Amino acid sequence: MNTIEPGNNDEALGKLLKEWRTDAPLPLHFQEAVWRRIERAQAPAAASVWDTIADWIGTVLPRPALAASYVAILLAIGVTAGWTQARQETARVKGELGERYIRVLDPYQTPRQ
Amino acid sequence: MKKGFFILVLGLALAAAAYVCVYFLCTSSARNLEQSSQPELAWLKEEFHLSDSEFTRISELHAAYLPRCAETCRQVEVQNERLRALLAATNQMTPEIESAVAESARLRGECQRNMLRHFYEVSRTMPPEQGRRYLAWVQERTFMPGEGMMRDK
Repeated sequence: MNTIEPGNNDEALGKLLKEWRTDAPLPLHFQEAVWRRIERAQAPAAASVWDTIADWIGTVLPRPALAASYVAILLAIGVTAGWTQARQETARVKGELGERYIRVLDPYQTPRQ
Repeated sequence: MKKGFFILVLGLALAAAAYVCVYFLCTSSARNLEQSSQPELAWLKEEFHLSDSEFTRISELHAAYLPRCAETCRQVEVQNERLRALLAATNQMTPEIESAVAESARLRGECQRNMLRHFYEVSRTMPPEQGRRYLAWVQERTFMPGEGMMRDK
């Protein structure tokens, strides 16, 4: 049964808290820890890297000029990488075939079993 | 947001497609060489810009040389085996070892003469400029391997 009237709520609670006593010791640095938690809770959350990237993709990348540049640059990277890799592979195959030609003709370079 | 991701993925997909297309296009000649019936001769044709008739003649010379080369190979193998056995049986020079070493040198000389004859024949079948280039290339790899190694360092 509630004996305290609603208007006297704060007054009654204050009185009760003043009377309240406890012997239990507080943990070490309790007060600082509480303040730290309060500060953390109040600080605005820093934007994560992913949020920044997502924001950039959502707002900046769709701009026509930037989108066209982005696609053109990636296309150029793909072409250049393919061409470079192909050149190396062709040189490797041709070098191997040349060595094979010599090994076929020169008994002293034929691999022994 | 959706549009941005679409552009992002489109760019990456185009880059990958461009890479694959260019790579396959530019390696097609090397793939053709590897898939031919005699890849080393196909390589020779491409490397020294041979016409079909020159290539046919060189293929004939090549086919004629191979049995002689195989026979030399067999002799070299037998001689190496003999020399290995003689060297393992003693710790000093013996008349047998001397004769085996001399025989190895004779075989090597004969092999080099045969090779050189073949190289000259092949080079004469090529256009003069390509023939000179071919001779320089084969001689460097067969007669002057030491120089090649020194140069590579």
